[in-house]
Amino acid sequence: MSITRHMRAIGLGLSLALWLALPASAGTYDLTVDPVTIDTGEFTRSGIGYNGASPGPVLRFKEGEEVTINVTNNLSESTSVHWHGLILPFQQDGVPGISYPGIAAGETFTYRFPIQQSGTYWFHSHTGFQEPDGAYGAIVIEPKEREPFRYDREYVVQLADAHPHSGNRIWRNLKLMSDYYNRKQRTIFDFFSDVEEKGLGSTLADRRAWGNMRMMPTDIEDLQGVVPLINGKAPAQNWTGVFKPGERVRLRFINSSGMTYYDIRIPGLKMTVVQADGNTVQPVTVDEFRISVAEVFDVIVQPMEDKAYTIFAESMGRTAYARGTLAPREGMAAAVPDLRAPPLLTMGDMAGMAGMDGMDMAGMAGMDHSSMTQEKPAAGGHTMPDGMVMQGGMEQSPMDHSKMDRGAMAQEKPAAGGHSMPDGTAMPGSMEQSPMDHSQHDMTAGPANDPFYAPGSGLTPTAANGGKFLSYTDLKAQKPLYPYRKATREIELRLTGNMERYIWSINGVKFEDADPIRLQYGERVRIKFINETMMTHPMHLHGMWSILDNGSGKWNPIKHTVSVAPGTTLNMETEVDAPGQWAFHCHLSYHAEAGMFRMVVVEGGPSDKQAMAQPTTGNGG
Amino acid sequence: MRKTHSPKLIGAAAAIAFALAASPALSSPARSGGGHDEQVDTGKPGKASNATRTVTVTMYDTYYEPEKLTFKEGETVRFIIENKGELVHEFNIATAAMHKAHAPEMMMMMEQGVLEPDKINMEAAKQMQAKMGHGLHKAPNSALLEPGKSAEIVWTFPEETEAELEYACNVPGHYESGMVGKIKLDD
Repeated sequence: MSITRHMRAIGLGLSLALWLALPASAGTYDLTVDPVTIDTGEFTRSGIGYNGASPGPVLRFKEGEEVTINVTNNLSESTSVHWHGLILPFQQDGVPGISYPGIAAGETFTYRFPIQQSGTYWFHSHTGFQEPDGAYGAIVIEPKEREPFRYDREYVVQLADAHPHSGNRIWRNLKLMSDYYNRKQRTIFDFFSDVEEKGLGSTLADRRAWGNMRMMPTDIEDLQGVVPLINGKAPAQNWTGVFKPGERVRLRFINSSGMTYYDIRIPGLKMTVVQADGNTVQPVTVDEFRISVAEVFDVIVQPMEDKAYTIFAESMGRTAYARGTLAPREGMAAAVPDLRAPPLLTMGDMAGMAGMDGMDMAGMAGMDHSSMTQEKPAAGGHTMPDGMVMQGGMEQSPMDHSKMDRGAMAQEKPAAGGHSMPDGTAMPGSMEQSPMDHSQHDMTAGPANDPFYAPGSGLTPTAANGGKFLSYTDLKAQKPLYPYRKATREIELRLTGNMERYIWSINGVKFEDADPIRLQYGERVRIKFINETMMTHPMHLHGMWSILDNGSGKWNPIKHTVSVAPGTTLNMETEVDAPGQWAFHCHLSYHAEAGMFRMVVVEGGPSDKQAMAQPTTGNGG
Repeated sequence: MRKTHSPKLIGAAAAIAFALAASPALSSPARSGGGHDEQVDTGKPGKASNATRTVTVTMYDTYYEPEKLTFKEGETVRFIIENKGELVHEFNIATAAMHKAHAPEMMMMMEQGVLEPDKINMEAAKQMQAKMGHGLHKAPNSALLEPGKSAEIVWTFPEETEAELEYACNVPGHYESGMVGKIKLDD
């Protein structure tokens, strides 16, 4: 995005004059929410940004500062700004229908809150699909004390996944056909709609691209066809961070994508992870790490050579990549790796789905995969909505799994049972021999073993260079924020979904039909996520920290977003120390909208901070 | 820089001052394939009575104070190393190449359970010694300290050397995140 570069720099000096006029402990910042043009070089579309650009500015605060942020809505629709990961009074949290009514078109809302933490965070609209449409920016908070590590320079590396379609249009399409963005089948009506939105030339180019992709035998994501961005720049636009050889460079990775997880590496460099979701962790040096949607990882690298290094971020489904460069000078480039083969979901990933362990497929209510099987009859794999291909040949012909039992499956399997994989590998079909164990089919390389993935999962990541891939188990708080204590209560939240109808829910109930989760001020609640879907969900609790139970006891890391892989159970604990009402949801934009979302009400606590008696109007999405 | 310290600071010098000495990499970096660092003179253990000054280096999570040091060539310095952090840290005088060669051993200690975030597991160290033939040994150029512990090192810097010395913590991840300081030697 051409204008972005300048705007991002200008953002640092937001209201500098005003800032200087006030005590050092109080800063005033102005943000405008504006219609902008998103230009990825591959397509151009209208979108939403801040201060005239997407991404918006990097807001730089200081721990202990009282900030005043004037947000002026220049859109013709309502908006909101949520400060992702910041601890603040709930009325300042920026979620329409939960924190406040939102910011109407043409109005200015003034946020005021104290900065009580340091590290890397971000902000984004919490209204509709404005965030995937470009309404996001970064927050960098300098600590009161010195940083607990050392670096010579730093860059925000903010990832996103721009799509040629508007969020509203994507949503309509997903609801019409959950695998719309898997099929890549387009209609003449889409064509005219594209022309209207993007112009004829771009549409024709897009058509060619789609046409090309239709030839791909496998692998599409829930939302496929994105152009991954780093600080607003597409791979060809090559965002570049300059360094002097020998310097320590702090990279503040933020994943502001609507839907895309990334596996990030910098060939030739080790990365030392020093913070996760803004909180300092005991440093751990890795070759590669996965960043879920909405997560933040700060790493330190030390490039010693006078040459360029590629920052390479592959989407988890391997359909696209973001690319940037670290180089001693602008204009340099290093080799850009090829995308690796797409991961293949296994029966392990399906383990959480109701009825699977009992071999009774009838329990898979609503999981009708028939439309997906039509899509690729020859590929021998289920293409799931998240773009993963499920290995194993369950579907020789379209079938309704909700009517399937073990016997029916056996009958449907042809004796030959062989599947030809897209890469030409022949795969023995073994439904008859061991109906549910497809682990022997695991075609992903390496002895991947990570307790945060289901046993035998096809999603367990491995480093491209065979080295160390960061696991949640590696994250240990450096200075635990809370004393370690036993949780006072456990709440079980099953992450549930009906992919065919594109309904995503918690405990089988979507947001609009659900009661709030009520917590008592002062309790330490243990939240047990059981992922019964085949997708990975980045769960984000507003207002209070999510202490990830990774078995490290008092060192358990403190996060704002925890990613729950398919077929797994993940526990986190929260010290309930923030009165009010808060959003709690899957951060995949279209899953949140579909209903994988709850309001959390914290009852009790200091009376001046308590929740208002009745919820504000509007919806919580 | 010049400071005096009461002896009690070093206290019940139960201070665990260990490192993986006798490690081939540390004693002869050339073996790790470095080449250019062959035979560099990094100095030698000194006597406290010869020390011209006492310097306190404080360990925090994960950095030192001070962050760099300047001495004279040939000078004997008495270091008081204090760990005021909440994690185990090392103070080790060597070249960058030597630190790099030492790092995998520290990683191994972590993997073997010898190095826990905030303590040194002596039982695990014994098992590692029995199983792998090496474990914790005292080394005159280094101290590995649990939180709250302190140690004393007396070091005589070389008269003339090509070595670019650093004091560094080789607990995995710590050097990389900046827990390293340069030692400048003036004529």
